[in-house]
Amino acid sequence: MDEDLLISAIDLAQRLGADYAEARLHRTKELGCILRNGAPEPAVIRDAYGIGIRVIHSGSLAFSATNDVSRDNIKNMVENAVKRAKASLPLLKYKILLSEEKSINADWKAEERKKIENVSFEDLLGLLKDIDNLIKNGKNGVSFPNRLLESSTLLEEKVYMNSDGAMIKSRVPRVSFSSYITTSYKGRTATITIPSGYSQLGESGGWEVIERLKIFEYVENEAKNLSLAVKSEQKPPKETLDVILGPQVSGIIAHESAGHPGEADRILGREAAQAGESYLKPNDLGIKIGSKEAYVSDDPTIPHSNGFYLYDDEGIPARKRRLIEAGVIREFLHNRATAYEFNIRSNGSSRASHYDKEPIVRMANTFVEPGDYSLEELFEDVKLGVYIKSFMEWNIDDKRLNQRYVGLEAYLIEKGEIKGMVRNPVLEITTPKLWSSVDARSKEVEFVGATCGKGDPMQGIPVWTGGPNMRLRAIRLGER
Amino acid sequence: MEIIEFADLALKEAIKLGATDVSSICAKTNENLIRFSNNSITVSKNIKNLELFLYLAKDKKRIMGTTSNPDIKGIKEFTSNLIKACEALSPSPDYTPLPKIETHYAPHGIYDEKIVEDGIKLIEFVKEAIDASLSSGADRVSGSLTASEEDLVILTSGNAIGEDRMTKILLNVRAFSGEASGHGLSCAARLKDFNPYNAGKEAGEYAKASVNPNHWEEGVYDLITLPTVTADIIQHVGSFASAFAVDSGLSFLADKIGQKVSMDDFTLRDYGVIEGGFGSRGFDDEGFPTRENIIIEKGVLKNYLHNSTTAKKFNTISTGNAGIIDPHPWNLVVDPGSMSLDDMIREVKKGMMVTNNWYTRFQNLRSGEYSTLPRDAAFLIENGRIRHAVVSLRISDSLPRQLANIVGLSKERKWIEWWEVSIPTLAPSMLIKNVMITKALG
Repeated sequence: MDEDLLISAIDLAQRLGADYAEARLHRTKELGCILRNGAPEPAVIRDAYGIGIRVIHSGSLAFSATNDVSRDNIKNMVENAVKRAKASLPLLKYKILLSEEKSINADWKAEERKKIENVSFEDLLGLLKDIDNLIKNGKNGVSFPNRLLESSTLLEEKVYMNSDGAMIKSRVPRVSFSSYITTSYKGRTATITIPSGYSQLGESGGWEVIERLKIFEYVENEAKNLSLAVKSEQKPPKETLDVILGPQVSGIIAHESAGHPGEADRILGREAAQAGESYLKPNDLGIKIGSKEAYVSDDPTIPHSNGFYLYDDEGIPARKRRLIEAGVIREFLHNRATAYEFNIRSNGSSRASHYDKEPIVRMANTFVEPGDYSLEELFEDVKLGVYIKSFMEWNIDDKRLNQRYVGLEAYLIEKGEIKGMVRNPVLEITTPKLWSSVDARSKEVEFVGATCGKGDPMQGIPVWTGGPNMRLRAIRLGER
Repeated sequence: MEIIEFADLALKEAIKLGATDVSSICAKTNENLIRFSNNSITVSKNIKNLELFLYLAKDKKRIMGTTSNPDIKGIKEFTSNLIKACEALSPSPDYTPLPKIETHYAPHGIYDEKIVEDGIKLIEFVKEAIDASLSSGADRVSGSLTASEEDLVILTSGNAIGEDRMTKILLNVRAFSGEASGHGLSCAARLKDFNPYNAGKEAGEYAKASVNPNHWEEGVYDLITLPTVTADIIQHVGSFASAFAVDSGLSFLADKIGQKVSMDDFTLRDYGVIEGGFGSRGFDDEGFPTRENIIIEKGVLKNYLHNSTTAKKFNTISTGNAGIIDPHPWNLVVDPGSMSLDDMIREVKKGMMVTNNWYTRFQNLRSGEYSTLPRDAAFLIENGRIRHAVVSLRISDSLPRQLANIVGLSKERKWIEWWEVSIPTLAPSMLIKNVMITKALG
């Protein structure tokens, strides 16, 4: 990547009157394979490389992007960006200003033992064939007549510079697996995913990720458990009971009802017409949203994580953000523009998925913090309850107050013991009620990979969601 | 170099290196986008890209790839790497030769150069929309305006040559009056059909009408979906009509060809090219001509959408909807009904009217069980009249049940594409009987 292109783009923007300019050369190279019922679909290579340029002129922000990285074209794009920023001034009621930050030079890489460039389609397809062999005959008397398995590698490389003097180079390889499976039992068909909830097994790293994920053991166990789940006929109890949520469910809850509403750009209304706003207002830091057992954090710096980074796409060092502590809203996710509005420093949450997407406030790895219970201890004093270990359908309103998770693998608990499975329990609950009902968490945290959507044009960004088993007291469940 | 020269070079290189099937598509896009919130522009964007897509097969092994803005050397390297990667794959039992189509497709003409000729005029449209919202009762307005063009060429080893050129302008407005909000859209392929004032006014009026929401109970309601919500439901039906989804066991429409799935007046078509349809394409990704396909006719499921591979599996011919792997709709169109919106409201004893929605997710793709969240203005209807605004409701039902329970369609229809609806859809309002509406605990 030619760093001179970035220097000349920033210089030109400043000569044209921009108060601030930044440029990012950004490559994403993806290899993907699909195996459908044991047969390969066409393999896929997606190689996207280009430059994204942001300028601020008199408080007006413009973004230009192109995959024609010739000097002449970049010059045109910079001129165009400055012109567009000026053109917006008549409709600029609120100036966009950036927090003061230390300018950093850094060159960082995610850990990678087996180079991602050496992973071939044979490796990706071979993995899927081995997985398919494990599950193609079904489990527990449930057949899997349709199996669509996907594996991919993604290499993301960037060089970023801004007019404040920051210069950051980065390289993050990632590996992921996901699947759709149709189940059939006594003439009844259903669809499941492994992992559940349309998520992925995904980490940053080279091909060693496959060993680290223990992918064969994971898929076989899930296939066994989920085959039992689709056989279940028993409806969940209608009376008030306790609910224990498995790590996949506590993870998606952390993402949807703590992470998203904590994004400062949503809080300020910037995403109102697309991804929505937030139940949180700018002065809501310190308010109580949950019980003393409600703890949620977001941490980009977790080694091997799917949302791993050390510097964000504004050159700001990444760090752990404690979103909810003991039920109290402690911190929002910020980029430099929102940090300025709050009169603080950015906490490094700005990311762009591709060269042609503007960097915006994003989560990285959002999770419920672990507690000090074992799973058995969480069960012990539950007289009547349901353990919702995984889910499929979920959604939440655009203020992040009204959410729903429909269980897939779920168990009835009576007097502290599992008494069989229940079919599709529905947890439909407001955010304050949910977090106020948490009374205990288990010690171990588990993560799954996901692609989080936000922005306009929409950009999907790799994240982890995770958590421990989490117990909610006195809940009423619905049924599907 | 012109984009047709890029596509031609890639095609020739692939054939020279032994590919038996090649589809070479080159696209040049130019997009201007203005985002605004709190009555103020937040960012103005311009994105210009040139991308080459290449599908090739050799010895029944199949691969496809995209690359950014290649030059001659880049195309040769990209093609050579793709061939090498292809050779290492396993042959596919699903391999189907690309269709032999000795056709030169001329651009379909659904194009308006005015949409992209001057980015600065977009500011005036944004101002018009914001002002219309504010004067209709909103106190703050957000949204986005996108104006884009695409030049596209295709050359295939089946001798298809095609060129297309399309434009679209999409405005999404969300207006707020206190905590209440309303939504308005204007989506068009030509500037003459674009109306930012009406989109802003509609958003502002709905926001104003939604203040002071009142009580409602969880239960079964008759549901009126305005075009934006209808379009979201219909885009999912259109996607489930993909023969790939059906063949993969991931569609509630599986095994239902010839069966009654909706009321007699419900007809759903997909058009490759239709005036007003900003997803129009004269040819698909295999070089096959696109056309009008009837998915559901008078309530009966008639056809799935096919590419060559799925067509062979289903013993039929392609419908011109490739996607190399997954066929997909181009422009979905629901035939108009005979009702006005007022007629629909008068029909309802106990119901809800929803104007917008988001976050549609499925529990089971085979049964079509799903839920989605109405957002912005929604209203309780009792005894043929709108009673009051409601908030925090969730449609928790199943697509096949809802399709079967449609009892009315409006005469008026609207083209929809926005953040939540990615397939251009010409949608009416729908009246659906007995829909489960649920409420969150707490």
